[in-house]
Amino acid sequence: MTGRRKLSGIGAAGGVGLLALLPLAGLPAFYDSFLYIIFYWISLATSWAILSGFAGYFSFGHAAFFGAGMYTTATLSVKFGVPFLVTLPIAAAVAAALAVGIGAVVFRLKQLRGELFALLTLAVSFVVATIILNTGIDGGAGVLTSSVAVPHLMPSPSGTIYLLGLLMCAGTLAITYVIAHSRLGLGLFAIHDDEDVAEVKGIPTFRYKLTAFALSAAIAGAVGGVHAIYVGFLTVSETFGIAVPLYVVLMSVLGGARHWLGPAVGAAIIAASLYAFTSGDQAMIGRGFVAFLLVVAILILPEGIVPSLQRWWARLRTRAATPPAVSEAPGVVAVTGNEKASGKVASLHPQTRAILEIRDVHKSFGGLQALRGVTLDVREGEILGLVGPNGSGKTTLINVITGHFPLTSGSLLLDGTAIGDLPAHGIAGRGIARTYQIPRPFAHLTVLDNVALAAAFGAAELSRAASLVEARRWLDFTGLRAKETMLPADLNLHERKFLELARALSASPRLLLLDEVLSGLNPAEIDRAIGLIREIRAQGTTIVFVEHLMRAVVELSDRIAVLNEGALFALGEPAAVMRDPRVVSIYLGKAYAA
Amino acid sequence: MLLEARHLRIAYGDATAVWDASLEVGEGEIVSVIGPNGAGKTTLINAIAGLLRWNSGTLHLDGSDLARVAAHRVCAQGVALVPEGRRLFTRMSVEENLEIGCYLPAARAARDATLERVYGLFPILRQRRAQMAGLLSGGQQQMVAIGRALMARPRLMLFDEPSLGLAPSIVDDMFDIVRRVREEGVAVLLVEQNVLKAMEIADRAYVMEQGRIVSSGVPSELLQQSHIREAYLGV
Amino acid sequence: MPSMTLLGQSLVSGVLLGGLYGLVALGLSLSWGLLRLVNLAHFALAFLGAYLVYHLGTVWHLSPWWAALLIAPLFFAFGVLQHAVFLYFRVTELTSLLATFGISVIIESALQWIWTADFRRFETHYASTSLKLGPIYVPVVELAACVAAAALAWATWAWLRWTYVGKALRAAAEDPEIAVAFGINRRGLAFLLSGVCAAYAGVAGAFIALISTLAPSQIWTWLGVVFAVVIIGRLGNPLGALAAGVLIGAAESLAMATFSPAWAPVVSFSVLIVLLLWQPDWS
Repeated sequence: MTGRRKLSGIGAAGGVGLLALLPLAGLPAFYDSFLYIIFYWISLATSWAILSGFAGYFSFGHAAFFGAGMYTTATLSVKFGVPFLVTLPIAAAVAAALAVGIGAVVFRLKQLRGELFALLTLAVSFVVATIILNTGIDGGAGVLTSSVAVPHLMPSPSGTIYLLGLLMCAGTLAITYVIAHSRLGLGLFAIHDDEDVAEVKGIPTFRYKLTAFALSAAIAGAVGGVHAIYVGFLTVSETFGIAVPLYVVLMSVLGGARHWLGPAVGAAIIAASLYAFTSGDQAMIGRGFVAFLLVVAILILPEGIVPSLQRWWARLRTRAATPPAVSEAPGVVAVTGNEKASGKVASLHPQTRAILEIRDVHKSFGGLQALRGVTLDVREGEILGLVGPNGSGKTTLINVITGHFPLTSGSLLLDGTAIGDLPAHGIAGRGIARTYQIPRPFAHLTVLDNVALAAAFGAAELSRAASLVEARRWLDFTGLRAKETMLPADLNLHERKFLELARALSASPRLLLLDEVLSGLNPAEIDRAIGLIREIRAQGTTIVFVEHLMRAVVELSDRIAVLNEGALFALGEPAAVMRDPRVVSIYLGKAYAA
Repeated sequence: MLLEARHLRIAYGDATAVWDASLEVGEGEIVSVIGPNGAGKTTLINAIAGLLRWNSGTLHLDGSDLARVAAHRVCAQGVALVPEGRRLFTRMSVEENLEIGCYLPAARAARDATLERVYGLFPILRQRRAQMAGLLSGGQQQMVAIGRALMARPRLMLFDEPSLGLAPSIVDDMFDIVRRVREEGVAVLLVEQNVLKAMEIADRAYVMEQGRIVSSGVPSELLQQSHIREAYLGV
Repeated sequence: MPSMTLLGQSLVSGVLLGGLYGLVALGLSLSWGLLRLVNLAHFALAFLGAYLVYHLGTVWHLSPWWAALLIAPLFFAFGVLQHAVFLYFRVTELTSLLATFGISVIIESALQWIWTADFRRFETHYASTSLKLGPIYVPVVELAACVAAAALAWATWAWLRWTYVGKALRAAAEDPEIAVAFGINRRGLAFLLSGVCAAYAGVAGAFIALISTLAPSQIWTWLGVVFAVVIIGRLGNPLGALAAGVLIGAAESLAMATFSPAWAPVVSFSVLIVLLLWQPDWS
């Protein structure tokens, strides 16, 4: 695998080298120009996709960063005589600063829906345009850059610009490739699929979004800087017009916004075909046609060209390979250890310390009080069953512990440290993991990546390679190893529940919270799940599980906590608690208890 | 028989919530379905109300096959739902909520008369008719939900966990109202976690566990069975 | 510091312009609030309406009032058709954003192709008449636009508030499942609403033709302001859209008089940002 990667890397570098020599070949300047435009669009579209394609936050304001970069270079080189090449990193920095400024405010809004971000960014680019238009930067007269000295890297200025464009393009693709295969990229993809779950699995969503936004803007700014010299004369209307936002969106959507190479493919196709429309009126038709393509692409090919091709190719290959195996029922791998799968653990030492202390926790949603002062200790190494009638606050308690909701009042202590104020990803990093009653896997990540992600961002913070090893270990444990390259949608419910479990376990949690993991399963699957839970505890993980299947709860738990109307109602040994008349009465009614 | 369900199987994608449910409700009867949380009771009621499609089995209302009926036409067949958790339109007033109940033409024609009856049943709602429904207490919201269903002038009313989240003193009042609904000639299918209340009020009852109807009969007989206790408490 | 008269005139002009903002915002607010679909094509549609009114008026000498009456049902049909296409392709909230963005550009290109990018002005004999209230001039056409905006906003509000269809729309927006359980035909209502919003765009376009200079690129300059108006006025609230429009219009106008005309776009955006930070729950 690494051999193949090295080969493609060398091939790519070679290709870039060859292209770099093109201006020396003495071809007419038209070719420099034509290719430069393609490189330019590839860079812009790919940079847009870093945030908008990977994380799914569609920005309509890419022109703001591009334009900021353009005018930075133009102003610095024309008005202050700063050498052209020096202005480029400054242009990138200015654009990045703008993005950080916007993102720091906007990404903090909890209710920020996708549409709002898109429209805000569009509005921002108009504001930037207005500011530039009305101040000395442009002032309405435009800025002439044709007299700026271009370094003599190539025989002609156009050759140099071409070279810079090529380098920008190669650099952008390289950066995007690295991001796509890094922790940042994995985090962004997860944010795209389910931001809440990503946060709970340990991904610092705010930081990652901001980073992606800044990188995207920086590249656009640098590209703008180069383009400032290419065009020779800048106007606000041309720079901040609707063309850049429209085209980058279309190119990425057409080529595949989630794939690092997608926008490049889309850009090459669109830019080359746009060249067919050169004069004024035709340019307008060209734009209309481009927009029409966008609409068609969104409706029919929402994933984009590159991912569709990949999927088609994969399907061809699997068909040629061995016929599909009959899906086996997942087995439970026996764990070598002192604990066997049957029977309960011997009674815990009375001094077993508390791993999680829940102290007088209140949680209200507006006027609704979901938790009214719950106080409870979870002992290390135990299996604690959390039960109670509908609406008693069980799932809310789990959500509060994992940081999904902030506490209204009270405190949570993990190993003595307060965690109530931590963001969800911080709590995940301390070793608390959970499953969801209705499985919420990251839909576009493979089974393996779903689990590896949790390992990479969990308590152990593993490297990519190590997280894959860890992930495979837990896939073996839950019997999903054979399906590691599949997408979650291709699994059945039982397998998706086990995927949830594997994902939670690979984060190396000390405390595992299970939310109705047995619901919807048939009796055989329930038995298997119960066996698995015992295995997990045998390895030293403390388990709190919410469940309605009472027989399973009584069989599995060391202790049972009964919640009623948001408060702890009873706590103790299973049989004793469930026979307690008060508990019986809240389930069945008073007369029944007698 | 007013309502006949035979071997219903209801799944969300590949997660089966109800494996096999058969039940009947006759004219003017109160029928309860009890069972622990997660047994599939709400899923069953939502399917009867038309909110969900079922995968196999049949459902007939007064002889008509409900499988052919689109979701928004189920109400016109004479079924009205009092959903779990009330699910009022919180940004609309009490009276507007009630009016949504009689949205359909037949019920709308009798709006004034039915409204009077509902206010007669729940005098406090008349006082608060212009208030935003989201501001009422739990018990009052439940009244609005019941009133909304009554406005549809149904032949069958479905109650999904009516006592949920209500203070015990109000729960008794709720069940009194269920009786009065039946006195008006409306059949009732009631799903409840609270075994005792559900049994007190029912003419007949079904017990549901893990997606199946496991027993049925007259409440006094069912209460003798030990596995109800086991299903709820695990011991 | 500008004189009182100038400020007063600015205020009046701003309020009147704000009425037009409200009129344009009305359709967008309704579809976003009640249908949960962001229709960026709303602006382009309005401008299409404007150009049609302009064309019918200058070439066929049709009075703008009759023109508006003619295009409203046409636009209604367009809205219904657009919704049908979106349903067929199962468009989500986010993809609707992209798709309507694309439709906007298609319409813009078509406008430019047919009418060129030149600025056009719909000349009517009453375009330059103004009422005079003391030292303040109140242009008749802009006043008419404001009155129309108010009337339409009130009519919409009344429709949503008092009629059964209006209540059904509000109920379906809040809890679609339960609304359906009581017989509300959500799908049919969605078609109706799409058509109505598109028709509103057309009517707004007629007034844009009467008041502003037309150019295809103007579509995008309106977008920022109107979008801010929609959010400030709260989604799905017709009177809110009107009030927010007037507020923004006045603020812009006063800012232009006090500082410089070119800073107008910044005003609405700043108000929006402040509001979002203050009260994030704007839906």
